Amino acid sequence: MVARDSGMLDRGRILGDLALQLGDEELFLGHRDSEWLGLAPEIEEDVAFASMAQDEVRHAAFWYELAETAGMGQADALAFDRPATDRRHAALCARPNGDWAHTVLRHYLYDAWDAVRLMALAEAGEETVAQGARRMLREEHYHHLHMEKWVVDLGRAGGEAGQRLLKAFQALLPDLPHLAAFAVDPQALVDLGILARPLPDLRREFVARISPTLAKAGLPVHPVEAALAAQPEDRARSVAPLADAEELLSTMNGVRSLGAAAW
Amino acid sequence: MPDARMEEFMARIERGDKIEAHDWMPEDYRLLLLRLIHMHAVSEIMGAYPEKEWVPKAPTLRRKMSLAAKVQDEIGHGQLLLRVAEDLAAPLGRHRVDLMDDVITGRVKFHNVFHMEAPTWADAGIIGWLVDGAAIITQTALLDCSYAPYARVLKRICAEESFHMQHGESIILSLAEGEPWQREMLQEALNRWWEAILFFFGPPVVTDAARRMMEYRIRSRTNEELRQKFLTRYVPRIRAVGLEIPDSALRYDDEAGLWRYTEPDWERLSRMVRDNTGPKSQERISLRRRAHQDQAWVREALLRARAAAAV
Amino acid sequence: MAMTQMEKEPAQELNANTSYDVYEIFVQASDLDPHVHVGSLLAPSPEWALQLARENFLRRAQAVSVWAVRRGDVHGTPDDPDWFAREFDRKYRDVSGYADNARRWKRFKAQAMHIDDVIADVRKE
Repeated sequence: MVARDSGMLDRGRILGDLALQLGDEELFLGHRDSEWLGLAPEIEEDVAFASMAQDEVRHAAFWYELAETAGMGQADALAFDRPATDRRHAALCARPNGDWAHTVLRHYLYDAWDAVRLMALAEAGEETVAQGARRMLREEHYHHLHMEKWVVDLGRAGGEAGQRLLKAFQALLPDLPHLAAFAVDPQALVDLGILARPLPDLRREFVARISPTLAKAGLPVHPVEAALAAQPEDRARSVAPLADAEELLSTMNGVRSLGAAAW
Repeated sequence: MPDARMEEFMARIERGDKIEAHDWMPEDYRLLLLRLIHMHAVSEIMGAYPEKEWVPKAPTLRRKMSLAAKVQDEIGHGQLLLRVAEDLAAPLGRHRVDLMDDVITGRVKFHNVFHMEAPTWADAGIIGWLVDGAAIITQTALLDCSYAPYARVLKRICAEESFHMQHGESIILSLAEGEPWQREMLQEALNRWWEAILFFFGPPVVTDAARRMMEYRIRSRTNEELRQKFLTRYVPRIRAVGLEIPDSALRYDDEAGLWRYTEPDWERLSRMVRDNTGPKSQERISLRRRAHQDQAWVREALLRARAAAAV
Repeated sequence: MAMTQMEKEPAQELNANTSYDVYEIFVQASDLDPHVHVGSLLAPSPEWALQLARENFLRRAQAVSVWAVRRGDVHGTPDDPDWFAREFDRKYRDVSGYADNARRWKRFKAQAMHIDDVIADVRKE
């Protein structure tokens, strides 16, 4: 990674790394989402949720294509062929699927952070990134409404649903500091005019965004604040635990690993 | 059942009138339709599983998205068809939850092809190309169905199937243009699926139920007519991409104007559908149980949330 | 005159608090199109019906507006075909009833006028 004080900030390299991070996150979450095909709690929801899985993979493709333009390799190769040790995703995105409460809460939290991050990318001066971010924000609006409704309704229902939601919240909490962070030095992103605001500001926006929803769902917000405060992640964050990504990648390469070929 | 009503109903059918959900209809008509559409709906949903296995393994980003979209469409078709079946079943006191429970108890059957294994990516291609191709032919044959809600939904389904046709062809064309081992994989998949695809159209004998469905103008073509149409359309294309059809008896009989082929093992394959004893029948039924019965808590939660919001 | 209510089954009325409802979905493709019925779905509330309608009915098509109407709130015409009976022509109110105008204008060395020409002319810069 680029040192903050090197004075030789390699803009292209940082942009490429950021694109890979965003690509890996969207791809891994989209992959996990697509595992729900045919398994959602109702047929209508199966169809709706499948669209969100496809949108995430489509967004991943955008970021990998951006990295391709930055000369980092062909988009499909970047998506499929990089080993787990080279991945830059937030741990939360690769976690195996839990129950429906875990799925919608993870998605809600990811989407909320993603929206905050995309806004800060959209408002900055890097035009290709900003343009992509603006388009994604528009598509993510429906995801956000959908996931928010799920979280609030499961919380309001109480009983078994409420208990499952709380359990999911506790399981996801430790992954939030790693999510609300960057695989590249966030200050360098700000200095280069790629990100409109520094990380602590984005984290405050994230908490402000999720607070009313968590409150409606009967979930406390202070553990989120405490977890974020304990791990500031003000430099490039560490690589996510390898096991989840390794398992995911070995599935994802089930066909591609058969040999070099066009598919 | 008053005979005058029945006579009037049959006169409507023969005039080419379309029947709506709230129209009077003979019990026999309702039950035949319900059995047909329920099985169709459930087959669409169960048909998602063999292909769904390949979404996480799809080899490029584009394939990952397009296969997910295709599987999603199948589930969407299941939704449309279920709604039609539900409206037919409601006067019998049966609703969505009952129609889905029927899959798990084995009370409703689903198409033979979805009891089979899809062990390679080429199987996903063959399903998209030939199983969908066969399904498109059987569905198009129902577009003029006398029951309007079914015909309307089929119109929408057929429009989406046009994407499925291109999608399936795209996968197999890549394999056919590809490395020798990719072509081999494709040939092996065809060998696995051929008999099941011929069976898919059903036995050549016109059963009593099939005859009644034709009288009611629910359907207008026999199983054999549709199988012949499939062979005419697909045999030349299968051969064109360099594949060999695993049936040495397959030939076109010019004199009779018919394809001759080795009959699938009707008895064995029928038993598989009837008793859910195919290689993947139980596994896929248990996936449906997981989705439907094990997540009843989610559906209950939304009703509780509705009640909470109403207070 | 009796209207038919689309949802007639008493069983569903009894289940009103314990099961999802049927919502009829109407889609407006553009601002200049009317809302068109596209199908129905099961949902626990109007909000959920709209959430689910988007991807169940608009995976490809574009739209500017969707309506979800609880089936029990839809009232339909009765099954009676006489309700739509129209035995005598209404040519006096159709363009086709005035086919002779063109011939008559010719006598005055002028051409018949059509609404499409007028619209095209007014739109022209």
